Amino acid sequence: MGVTVLQPYQIPEGKTGAQAIDFLTKRLLALGAVHTGQFLVDCETYISAPQHGPSKAVHVLHDSEYPVTTFSILDTGTGKQIPLVADNLFDLLMLKMTSVYTSKKQTKIESKGARFEYGDFLIKLGSVTMMENFKGILIEIEYRPCVVLFYCWEMIREVLQSFLGVTVAKEYPGYFTSQPVVNAMGQQQLHAKQHDIYEPIDTINQYLEHFTNYRKQNIMPQVSSQSSNMSMNTGMRVS
Amino acid sequence: MNSMSMAQVASSKESVSQANQEYLLQGSIIASAVEHLIHRLRGLCDNVENVPETFHDLEVCMSMRQPNQVPLQVRVRRALGTRDLPFQLRYIGQPELDRSRPTLVRSSIDVGCTSTVLEFLTELGCRVDFEYVSQGFLFRKGRMKITVAKIFKIIPGKQNDSEPVCNSYLVELSVLAPNGQDAIGDEMRIFAEQLKPLVHLEKIDYKRLGNIP
Repeated sequence: MGVTVLQPYQIPEGKTGAQAIDFLTKRLLALGAVHTGQFLVDCETYISAPQHGPSKAVHVLHDSEYPVTTFSILDTGTGKQIPLVADNLFDLLMLKMTSVYTSKKQTKIESKGARFEYGDFLIKLGSVTMMENFKGILIEIEYRPCVVLFYCWEMIREVLQSFLGVTVAKEYPGYFTSQPVVNAMGQQQLHAKQHDIYEPIDTINQYLEHFTNYRKQNIMPQVSSQSSNMSMNTGMRVS
Repeated sequence: MNSMSMAQVASSKESVSQANQEYLLQGSIIASAVEHLIHRLRGLCDNVENVPETFHDLEVCMSMRQPNQVPLQVRVRRALGTRDLPFQLRYIGQPELDRSRPTLVRSSIDVGCTSTVLEFLTELGCRVDFEYVSQGFLFRKGRMKITVAKIFKIIPGKQNDSEPVCNSYLVELSVLAPNGQDAIGDEMRIFAEQLKPLVHLEKIDYKRLGNIP
């Protein structure tokens, strides 16, 4: 268990999703990464029936890295999110609430693909699909010997740049940026998430954030000509 | 994990345990005689050489109203005095009506989870019905679980000062097993016979107890 950063990958102009994945796979193998199987992260959202007051959503996620765990995030509709990490039997419990919480099947979304080990890093190339429709590529990168992003962000960023070939902003990814929280004394404070000890639920929160973005966009991911140019400039040889 | 195939990945999240039926017998014993029962159980159960395992738990019973259905009942249990153990979330279904079965049989889903569960359930729409503290001993015999526990009322505002409900201990003999394993009921009956006359473990018909939750 280390620190994980989830990074959306802009598909270069003129390429399909499969071609982009193929391109990244070759890059990783050329770097010396070892292919170590497959992975899958899925998300299903349950919405409360209107007669039960303001609409609430329960996002239920599974990650093959934690095969007997179900992650749930309850969105109260008032900007508050409550996470629950439970045994995977929790799935059966959700089925007992079908008269109040119903699954929005058409928004079932998943990211799946190959898993690579590269020294102390674990890298996963995920194709995101919703109802069999391709939505984009998410790269999950984990630096395993460390549990605080602050100490290893530069290293993660370096690896992302060296194989992604795109410039990754120096700032911490959106999920880790300082957010105002209300402390026990009722005062607002800035909470620097990059100093927190990283937990599996943080990976899940990042997936949910990106999945929510993909669900909102109905069109294919925008092709960025900038990123394709930059990937040519890295000087990496692709076998 | 490393050499996991896609088929395994796909099945990994579906391989939920099928031990979802609870077989249950209940009884009670007066506090002055509980020592005898503990001795008897130490002799009958596994790990006789060890001191009996103890527990001290708080159980919160909650329910969610559902239209045209019986309310969904869930319980959250947490160990008092230790902060490291996971919380236990439990769903218990309506008992089966089959009179021929030797034990009470009801569906049960037991889920270990994080301490956020109470807030999660409250926001989900569950309301607290009642709560109590259960303190006592736990024994195992194969896959059977035997608990001997005193039940305490929670006095509002006095978390550390609870009052026993009565001067007896609740004795429960239970097994979690997959659907259709009826032989376990007979196994439990035989074990219950060995505890007589100290305690009479019986199949309790909740309907006859009236509307006690």
